[in-house]
Amino acid sequence: MTDHSRFRLSRRALLAAGGATMLGGHAARADGKTLNVLSHKVHQTVLGTGDGDLMKDWRKANNADIAFTTFDSNPLQDRLFREASLAETEFGVGYLIDNRPTSQIAALFEPLQPRQDKSPIEDFADIAPGLVRGMTIDGKLIGIPVRHATQGLFYNEALLEEAGITAPPTTLEELVAQAKKTSFTSKAGTPVVGMVLASDLAVFPVMFARAFGGDFISADFKLVPNPAAMESGLETLRAMFEAGSLPRSYATTKNDDQVTWLQQGRAAFTVLPFARFAQLNDAGQSKYPGRIKAMEFPVAAALKGKTPMAAVVEAWAMAIPKNAKDKDLAWSFIREVSSKRVTLGMAINGNGPVRVSTYADPALQAKNPVAAVEARALANARGAFPPFPEAARAQATFLEEVQLAVLGRKPVKEAVAAIVTRVKPMMPA
Amino acid sequence: MRALPLLAPVHVLILGVIVLPAFYVVWLSLNASSFGRAPVFVGLQNYIQVLTDPAFRAALLNTVLLVVLAVHAEMAIGLGMALLFASGLPFRRFLLVTVLAPYAVSEVTAVVMWRFLFDPDAGPVTLALRALHLPTLDWSFTPSHALTLIGLLTIWLHLPFTFIIIYAARLAIPGELHEAARVDGASRWQIFRRVTLPLLAPAILIALLFRYIFAFRLFSEAWLLTGGGPARSTEVVAIYLYQEAFTFNAFGPAAATAWIMVAVSLLLAAGYVYLLRRQVAADAR
Repeated sequence: MTDHSRFRLSRRALLAAGGATMLGGHAARADGKTLNVLSHKVHQTVLGTGDGDLMKDWRKANNADIAFTTFDSNPLQDRLFREASLAETEFGVGYLIDNRPTSQIAALFEPLQPRQDKSPIEDFADIAPGLVRGMTIDGKLIGIPVRHATQGLFYNEALLEEAGITAPPTTLEELVAQAKKTSFTSKAGTPVVGMVLASDLAVFPVMFARAFGGDFISADFKLVPNPAAMESGLETLRAMFEAGSLPRSYATTKNDDQVTWLQQGRAAFTVLPFARFAQLNDAGQSKYPGRIKAMEFPVAAALKGKTPMAAVVEAWAMAIPKNAKDKDLAWSFIREVSSKRVTLGMAINGNGPVRVSTYADPALQAKNPVAAVEARALANARGAFPPFPEAARAQATFLEEVQLAVLGRKPVKEAVAAIVTRVKPMMPA
Repeated sequence: MRALPLLAPVHVLILGVIVLPAFYVVWLSLNASSFGRAPVFVGLQNYIQVLTDPAFRAALLNTVLLVVLAVHAEMAIGLGMALLFASGLPFRRFLLVTVLAPYAVSEVTAVVMWRFLFDPDAGPVTLALRALHLPTLDWSFTPSHALTLIGLLTIWLHLPFTFIIIYAARLAIPGELHEAARVDGASRWQIFRRVTLPLLAPAILIALLFRYIFAFRLFSEAWLLTGGGPARSTEVVAIYLYQEAFTFNAFGPAAATAWIMVAVSLLLAAGYVYLLRRQVAADAR
């Protein structure tokens, strides 16, 4: 017979236990602080977990926890701007993309120079000055760069060998020829396209235009500064599509498809941030671990040795909304994440480091074989276009015309003329 | 009168969740506003801007085409299936679960599934059609094929709703009516035309009305399948609104688009609303 009375749970005991738990919980929370961070998942991942948690000392020293709320890039920026527009926000730190802060948006964030003067970040001059300039709006520093994604050319060495290609391309013309040659059925029986590119990002047509010395919108707000170069870039993409070197599904290809197509051996070349190197060669995901290589995107033969390729770089920065509750804790977090130690740790975890010195670190060079080539590409890299209020609409218009040209629904010359005509009214005065 | 306070929570809820946000959207639609910018009153400028935008007109045309075709196809298939089920099918319960299953699938999952099945290079459906020497849907390149796939997907997703309403109405028709018609010498077609269809009409109207309004908000299928491309050729009005609000952060035109959507969907459904009112009035007499 069991003695139920010993284990009987009365309503009174249950209520008392519940109350004690609530009070206990409240007391525990009252002891510590929580810093709410609005970011992309990747920003949380590179900070590590468990024993590899790069922020564990900071948590201990500040008796604070970090609560990440993560979104994909566009929804993240939308949420961040919404939060910063409220009377008050729970979020202390938000991750900001460098082509978003217009004057109006920048006004929603705390100027950080006074904090930097009072409680400086370790060796601030070591952080790439170009990236810092990108976060200085109307003379005010509103974000501390934390990550960059510089675009490089990735290729599947095994597929190139199968096609009888012994060395990767050194010019854009060679790239086009090799992409055509690798549009075949591989020995594994997989239909391969020479190159896979997403059609919903300005990065790729801009890279092709820059390979000929052109651009979409220059840093000094010149719209299509070299129309002939833009036409050459789009003509190249158009010819690749026509030759079957770009997939027929080009118009619906997304950024994630680029990764999976390269991992599965469905494409020989793609353009992605160098930080994707580890993922593309991950034995658990890729059919070609160790065979996917990266290099700088090549310029056209006419510019080889004369003009360096200006790869597209997208940078992220940490910002503090003006309406944040605990700005001191937020700045303390930013200082720690920007330290040399955490920058290196994040780089080893796959983050594009914003400190020039990080690339020289032997630990990073051992872990990341493309660190040196990434550093070279970063030296000449710049954003796809500068921030201005109608930048998103301008990008959408540009992509619409690019798609029409690449798919052969509009002559390239007309598409380039339409880009100029349609985007001009959106440009800042 | 004394019961009025008891109804207050409902009114407060409707006021807070529907009426006030609706007025806020009206206010937004009359202002130019974005993040970090104080709203500026612009009158009807946002409505004019949206209505004169060729991209909006193309999106509206795509939406109307998709809605009209998909909703009526859904109705025809739903009606046929309801009659088939009511006529006594073997394994009816199993088949019922099969037919209703798509309604339990989230739209995002469904689109991912269909994207995989109809992948232009390696999709199982594409490969099977090719093996049978049948034409495939070149949806990632040809806009009309993309719109067809979006239409098929939306029919697949929402057919259970239409089917279950009509099927329930069909089961509610007393068997004696059909029996009496048969005794009077009516053919199967006459029974359907003179007995079944008139009795199903109210349910069909309700289903059509709801589907018209829901279908006009069509978003996930088009957005996740084609993103509105190539070159905005498969864009629907909800994508246009989404882009204005969340990509371009132009809240004024986005709010104006929302109200235009309400007006057009009501206009499209107006004929059915009229028929429904006439039906209700006839029943009341």
